[in-house]
Amino acid sequence: MTEPLLEADHVTYRYSRKGPKVLDDMCMTIEQGKKTAIMGCNGAGKSTLFSVLNALYKPQDGKVLFKGSPLTYKHRDIIKMRSEVSILFQNPNDMMFKPYVEQDVAYGPENMKLPKDEVEERVQEALFAVGMEAYRKSPIMKLSYGQRKRVTLAGVLAMRPSAIIMDEPTAGLDPQMAYEVMELAEQMHTNGVTVIMSSHDTDLTYSWADELRVMHGGKCMYAGEPEPFYSDYASVQKAGLLLPSVFMVNKTLSDLGKCSLEPYPRAQSQVSLKIAEHQDVDLGILHVVRADRDTDVAAVLEENDLNGFSKGVYGMSARFAARNTSVDVDFLYNGPESCTMKCLDGEDSVLICDPVMYEKAISSAMFINSNGYGKINIDII
Amino acid sequence: MTDIFKLENVTFRHTPTAPIVLNGMDLVIEEGTRNAILGANGVGKTTMFYTLTGVHKPQEGTVYNRDVPVEYTKDGLRSLRSDVAVVLQNPDEQIFCSLVEEDIAFGPLNLGLERDEVERRVSKAMRDVRMSEFARRPLQQLSGGQRKRVAIAGALAMEPKIMIMDEPTAGLDPQASMEVMELAEKLHLMGVTVLISTHDIDIVYKWADQSYVLYGGKVEFAGHIDEFYSNPERVYRCGLLTPSMFNMNRDISMLDGMDVAPYPRNCCEFTAKFGKPSRSGKVLCVPVEEEEALGKYEEVMKDMNGVPAGVYGPDARFALRSKELEYQFDAIDSCFTDAVRGKDAVLFHDPIYSKTIEEQVEKLKAIGFDADVEVVR
Repeated sequence: MTEPLLEADHVTYRYSRKGPKVLDDMCMTIEQGKKTAIMGCNGAGKSTLFSVLNALYKPQDGKVLFKGSPLTYKHRDIIKMRSEVSILFQNPNDMMFKPYVEQDVAYGPENMKLPKDEVEERVQEALFAVGMEAYRKSPIMKLSYGQRKRVTLAGVLAMRPSAIIMDEPTAGLDPQMAYEVMELAEQMHTNGVTVIMSSHDTDLTYSWADELRVMHGGKCMYAGEPEPFYSDYASVQKAGLLLPSVFMVNKTLSDLGKCSLEPYPRAQSQVSLKIAEHQDVDLGILHVVRADRDTDVAAVLEENDLNGFSKGVYGMSARFAARNTSVDVDFLYNGPESCTMKCLDGEDSVLICDPVMYEKAISSAMFINSNGYGKINIDII
Repeated sequence: MTDIFKLENVTFRHTPTAPIVLNGMDLVIEEGTRNAILGANGVGKTTMFYTLTGVHKPQEGTVYNRDVPVEYTKDGLRSLRSDVAVVLQNPDEQIFCSLVEEDIAFGPLNLGLERDEVERRVSKAMRDVRMSEFARRPLQQLSGGQRKRVAIAGALAMEPKIMIMDEPTAGLDPQASMEVMELAEKLHLMGVTVLISTHDIDIVYKWADQSYVLYGGKVEFAGHIDEFYSNPERVYRCGLLTPSMFNMNRDISMLDGMDVAPYPRNCCEFTAKFGKPSRSGKVLCVPVEEEEALGKYEEVMKDMNGVPAGVYGPDARFALRSKELEYQFDAIDSCFTDAVRGKDAVLFHDPIYSKTIEEQVEKLKAIGFDADVEVVR
């Protein structure tokens, strides 16, 4: 068990004295360094909880603890806490500070009194991370909802927080952008950031989260790993949720005696090989190119004769490197899963991957290999 | 079949110097169909909806409503819009009044309906989206998902012939999303033409007859979506991904040397195809009108020790709200998944959904699974 980062200790919050208790004697602990998903139906109190954890609201009862100490609600303490814990609100229009994209992203770092060069570097990197470099000089009013959402995310990234709370970061985004956000969340996690995310997308969070917190009626009704919660359908239904499709398919097929219940697959490619009967067929090779920012990816592909295969990219340094050497990438999003699926089709694939993201990148292939569901050769370059 | 809407070579830009959003777009929407509009953020889905409803007048090309070119006059637009209800992506853009019930009544009142009729429609619509208890609440006090439901109720209360829903499930929790799809299905069964744009590829994969993928200001693909999803590079180019059921079906079918078709689209179809079920459990279908639902429930369930029950449809769900049914949402799939597992289940549903259930049985049959279904009259 790691150290708690944020704790709600018997917290009660209502918006007005006569209003209903949105948080009702709620207890919840968020651990440092974990990937935590917060789920629950509309109106369960998720966004209110985030505002309470970030000291935007002061609870009428109970305490909020940050790294073990109760919040004092003194200006200086709040500023200090917020410099470490950033929050990304659901509606991007709630957190636009400046009229132009670059000014808006620079707003946070400038307030941290960072030197000009440092601010510039962070803005550039954050805009690259969310794929909005081309819009640097654009007025925010002219951007679409999805684009605004990405700009606000860039603003939070530029603060380089040690923890980030994301309220519905993928709502309203198209599927590829949603995966881009999940990749950023994974990247932050590998960089040591505590990532807390609320979402209604049970499939996306199931493939990502270590820890699940389920809210219902202003209380935390479940805290722990996802599987025990999803195994209790009555609770899932009470919470306003549905089963992740990967979990549901695995469960039903194990009931039919087609496969064992455990190990639980968390991704589609994992289900596919767990269920398929002909596991001895030839699977493609997963060529993993570990790319730092200055890796000449084009040369590496040429050298290893990999240009004929479908290519995916995963992680920040890999994206930099692939772009700088003008490599044609087929799978710009959801790279690991898309490349693994190519291998299932019997074709080799190339995954250009940030070295720090390597473990996550090969996790589906490792699940398949270590459980004897098939053999995807991993060729590390 | 009548074409409800037709776009012929339509080009639209917001201002003369702005980029072209719709670029010579052609599109046909047939009456009574279930349509999904897919595409990346910023591809022009919303602009297309505004063009269909006459809010935007294209610079080039023609918009037809029931084979007649739209006239951009007061009368022409009024006759077009009296048939169409639109649910906007952002509910805050269609709030007209401060209280929930007043806001929902705004549309019907503007249609010039009798007070009683307006009240009937408003209370029905609030119930359909489970917002009745919030009738007298100010909209500002509601969460984003709740405001979305109010916006949907407002559109339902118009009782339109064409329903356009722009991202109706964005920001809704999973159960509320299923409910919205259930309502969309009900509208379809009532003969309404339904258009839904969404990023939730999984949820519309189960529902739509016709899909349209927008890319580069044009309709890149129109038809049965499985054909489109079969080309991953094209899917990627359009900013989309393939639904999880599609991926898993393709991979397992290939590995095991099976035909990819028929394509399973939900859990019961998927597990019927790959689980090699030996025998079907029985699905007891009980179509119930609202008034008789509780009585029927007691009558049917008294001999059903431990058999799970599900409910499908807003009226049956409302009538049985005091009962703790096992499957409150997505109940057709849940009950038929039980059948695939060899277990029995009882499905209470609004009578109108009998056709949806028949379709489910047919799809399972095409996959090679004969579901044991008994209808209790």
